[in-house]
Amino acid sequence: MRFAGGLLGALMLAACAAGERSGASNDLLIVGYDREPDTMNRFSTHILEDIQTCVVEGLTITDEHMNVVPLLASEVPTLENGGVRLRPDGGMDVTWRLRPGIKWHDGVPFTSADVKFTVEAINSPDYNPESTDGFDRIEGVDTPDSLTAIVRYREVYAPYALQFVRGALPRHLLEGRDIDGAQDYNRNPLGTGPYRVAEWKTGEYVLLERVPGYWRGDSLPAIRRILFRFIANTTTRINQLRGGEIHVTALVPWDKYREVRDVPGLTIHRMVGNSYEHVTLNERAVEAFRDVRVRRALTHAIDRELIVRTILDSLAPVINGPIQPVSWAFTDSVARYDYDPAKARALLESAGWRDADGDGIRERNGHRLAFTLITQAGFAVRENVSQALQRMWREVGVDAQVRLVDGTSISGLWFEGKFDAMLHWWHMPADPELTLFFASDRTPPRGRNINYVNDDSLTRLLYASDRTVDQGSRRTLLVAAQRRIADLAVEIPLYNVTRLDAVPANLVGFTGNPTNAGIFWNVHQWKMRTR
Amino acid sequence: MSATGTYNLPVLPTVLRRAAQSVPLVLLVSVLVFALLHAAPGGPLSIYLENPGVRPEDIERLRRSLGLDQSLATQYVRWLAAFVRGDWGFSLSDGRPVAQRMLERAPATLELVATSLVVALVAAVPLGIRAAVRRGGWFDRVTGVLALAGVSLPVFWFGLVLQLTLAIGLGVLPSSGRSSAFDVDVVDRIRHLVLPAIVLAAVHAAAWSRYLRSSMIGILSQRFILAGEARGIPRRILLVRHALRNAAGPLLTVVLMDAALLVSGAVVTESVFAWPGLGGLFTEALARRDYPVLMAFLMVTSVAVIVLNLVADLAHRRLDPRTQ
Repeated sequence: MRFAGGLLGALMLAACAAGERSGASNDLLIVGYDREPDTMNRFSTHILEDIQTCVVEGLTITDEHMNVVPLLASEVPTLENGGVRLRPDGGMDVTWRLRPGIKWHDGVPFTSADVKFTVEAINSPDYNPESTDGFDRIEGVDTPDSLTAIVRYREVYAPYALQFVRGALPRHLLEGRDIDGAQDYNRNPLGTGPYRVAEWKTGEYVLLERVPGYWRGDSLPAIRRILFRFIANTTTRINQLRGGEIHVTALVPWDKYREVRDVPGLTIHRMVGNSYEHVTLNERAVEAFRDVRVRRALTHAIDRELIVRTILDSLAPVINGPIQPVSWAFTDSVARYDYDPAKARALLESAGWRDADGDGIRERNGHRLAFTLITQAGFAVRENVSQALQRMWREVGVDAQVRLVDGTSISGLWFEGKFDAMLHWWHMPADPELTLFFASDRTPPRGRNINYVNDDSLTRLLYASDRTVDQGSRRTLLVAAQRRIADLAVEIPLYNVTRLDAVPANLVGFTGNPTNAGIFWNVHQWKMRTR
Repeated sequence: MSATGTYNLPVLPTVLRRAAQSVPLVLLVSVLVFALLHAAPGGPLSIYLENPGVRPEDIERLRRSLGLDQSLATQYVRWLAAFVRGDWGFSLSDGRPVAQRMLERAPATLELVATSLVVALVAAVPLGIRAAVRRGGWFDRVTGVLALAGVSLPVFWFGLVLQLTLAIGLGVLPSSGRSSAFDVDVVDRIRHLVLPAIVLAAVHAAAWSRYLRSSMIGILSQRFILAGEARGIPRRILLVRHALRNAAGPLLTVVLMDAALLVSGAVVTESVFAWPGLGGLFTEALARRDYPVLMAFLMVTSVAVIVLNLVADLAHRRLDPRTQ
């Protein structure tokens, strides 16, 4: 007994010894990260690229306003500056002029040959990148000099400006090698960015350290080391933030906001995101959804303002369509479906759905107006919202059963169209493309049109926008498409997925970013203000 | 019977017989696990579906490259043929060898499980003995209630409570992780180990202490103990050398069989405490449907359960000749 007491005492004594709990400084910033990267190769990873962004830079990047700005390129090619040329054969040439004087971290110059090698590697059958989107439309790259790469597309490709947002692969390191198996590169990539990987301790952390002689200036970046700690459990991550063991964490869940908003020395940066929560109505699975009156009625039945005010703590704004206010293509001039249960009931009546047997649920031709709403389990806000939707629909005579499904399984279900309705979000691409989500021929497996909407005029608008390079003309087409989507009430838009990023209050230069570029897109500008 | 009075039946034939019996069992487990994993909705490519930049053509290309376009039977036979040759395949997540990924994580789990085992035993044995000796007294009743609570506590809840009180509230311990990033020494490692080890040990300490109490009560009422007391043998010697020695056999069997449960319990504990062990790897692999990693993990744990059962049997035979 005394031995046991002694051992426990020793443990507690050790426990009470001074430990690591220091504030963020220009020497070290600790980030709580929700998962370990699969690979540091930006073209192979399927996880957000926050860590990689600090190491490997793209030719362009999206800023906090979702504008595409040049990074390793000296300018973004456009029709106006002559960087984009539409060929008579229907193809398109994009001329990338690289910033002079850029070197890889090993001192080798970054050139147009690296751009050409990247295109060839991604289109090679020997390499399995995450996505070949856009690259598969490139027929070749010409390199008239070391700072010019002319990318020749077979067809007009509107999102060309983001083609090299993930950077380039270093030719001198990877040429002739199996890139999938190049663990030296995939674990510790060669980049041109402000940081390089100093250590990757599997399962625990990645430590980045400042690269001397960064091309933007010797004094940059101001913060010497950034430690990304992998903490998958959200509650643990928030506890570490509250305890000061980590200094930064992105995408704080809304239901944790109250726990962290008053933590001394912490700022919760709030930003409208490029994602939106909505209810997908599967027209293939539920016959009733094929009637626009039913879809409009289901939308009118939902008090979105109430949901946002109560469940979401007013953290996210109600939205009315798939393109978010942060995008240049956004319009709010679309049909709105305000909360109006009387109107919802009238629409359902006009569509022939009546409660004949008095059980509170409408029927038509012997069929009840009933469906199953699936949503992700373990996501408290979403579970609460699904219950609110269920109750609101019930009030207008619609029976929705909620089914919670784990995150991996739910992807499989929607990809196979095996659901009635789904509460979820889409993370929209930085380029405001809607074709993948709403064109009639882009149902799974060819796309993400899981509403199974089939509207010719909408499809024509969307494909026309994909073939339009001029931003003004493209916006006109996308605005028309957004109006058509709203008129058809294709889906039920709920609210914007507003980002909450927790950072030290004395961190200067932090702006956030609504796209996949992530909050570290301008990490070279970050600096801890000291008293 | 040997000259010393203990039975020494040959161990090797028993081990070989049990190993041979285990082969069809392991095969059956592998078929079941393989079928169950593939029957679950979603798959390794599900994670790609959330990214609009990943086109349907990419999904098909990745499916082919990962061999997921083959029939399930073909995939299983291929996996089995490689597995028995010692080739555990490559992780679908990061492309690295599965064996390497598991070996990287194994030390952290072994460290946590071994410490928890020691902590649980160090707590359970004295508590169990004292509760048996003071049967019906206040100590027995209090430890009984505590044991009930220990067995009933959800691991994740208990872990979060300790984090909130000792790490966030009092700030005397780190809330999670295996070590600090810098200035790592023995003290730092122990500090990080305290909370997860206590959480993982709590359930087992509670159960084992009550188990030992029951065994000790039975033994303490036997005649040889009464005879020992009558001969004036000191109480402490009677308890430790005679009573505990007899109760140790069954307890050891339970401990060894529970050791496998400690590994499965570590899955939750490692998640709560961001402990970089096999449990975390399993959770990650499950979310990504990383079949090669999941298969390897489940086969290793299945074999470990079989081996620990065998060791428990042998140990019991050694300690209690009646079982021979």
